[in-house]
Amino acid sequence: MPKVARLHAILWGVFSVGGFIAAFLLPVLIYIFGIAYPLGLWPISGQDPTTSILNHHHLGTMFLFVTVAGSLYHGIYRFQSTLTELGLARAKRALEALGYLIVIVGILAVAYYLLMLNPGVLSLP
Amino acid sequence: MSKEKPFPEYKRKLGPGWWLANSHFTQYMIREWTSFFVAVFSLIYIYELSLFASGARADALNLLKNPGVIAFNVLALLFTLYHAFTWFYLIGKVQPIKMGKTTSKPWQALLVNIVLLLIVSFAVIEILVLR
Repeated sequence: MPKVARLHAILWGVFSVGGFIAAFLLPVLIYIFGIAYPLGLWPISGQDPTTSILNHHHLGTMFLFVTVAGSLYHGIYRFQSTLTELGLARAKRALEALGYLIVIVGILAVAYYLLMLNPGVLSLP
Repeated sequence: MSKEKPFPEYKRKLGPGWWLANSHFTQYMIREWTSFFVAVFSLIYIYELSLFASGARADALNLLKNPGVIAFNVLALLFTLYHAFTWFYLIGKVQPIKMGKTTSKPWQALLVNIVLLLIVSFAVIEILVLR
């Protein structure tokens, strides 16, 4: 029986989902948070976007978690692979380890900070 | 099965500049580098959340107004859109849909997904920012 790389397949599947998240949800977050707010463009009028989004409790908090965690996983997974194609192939294992460390710490940090900002998110609607 | 290979494996050596050899490789590498902007923006946002959570809201908002951060965010948006459009095109190439005798083309998948992206973005703004 050929050996099936199940873990690799699962990790690649999550990476693929992260690609969809980065494609569909990240552009609007970058725009409202990083461009529209500091430059005073539509649709921002006064309140900063993070506070506006978190005011929508569950939906806003879920949006931020899914977008940031999914994009972080996708971005780091692909970037460490890109570095191996640019002459760092010998450091592949180290880059993978560092990449997964950043992803795990990053996702835990997003969850922790969002819980601090909106503790009610764990309660039933 | 024996682990011995029947013939020596040829490993092509690639220098760091191999992706400049032709335009397809260059486009591929630009696409791969979009991941840098996706990852760094995510890390900046996590840092912003940490400032919000620790009560340093004014510092978080001042950081956003830094010209260098704004310039990075403009670049990040352009690269993220490049990622999105090439991703949509690839979906159409990898998974064409058969309808009767015709099969969908990659540019059709690109168009449909751009419309979806606009709908999703507008919905996020309408529901989470404007309301």
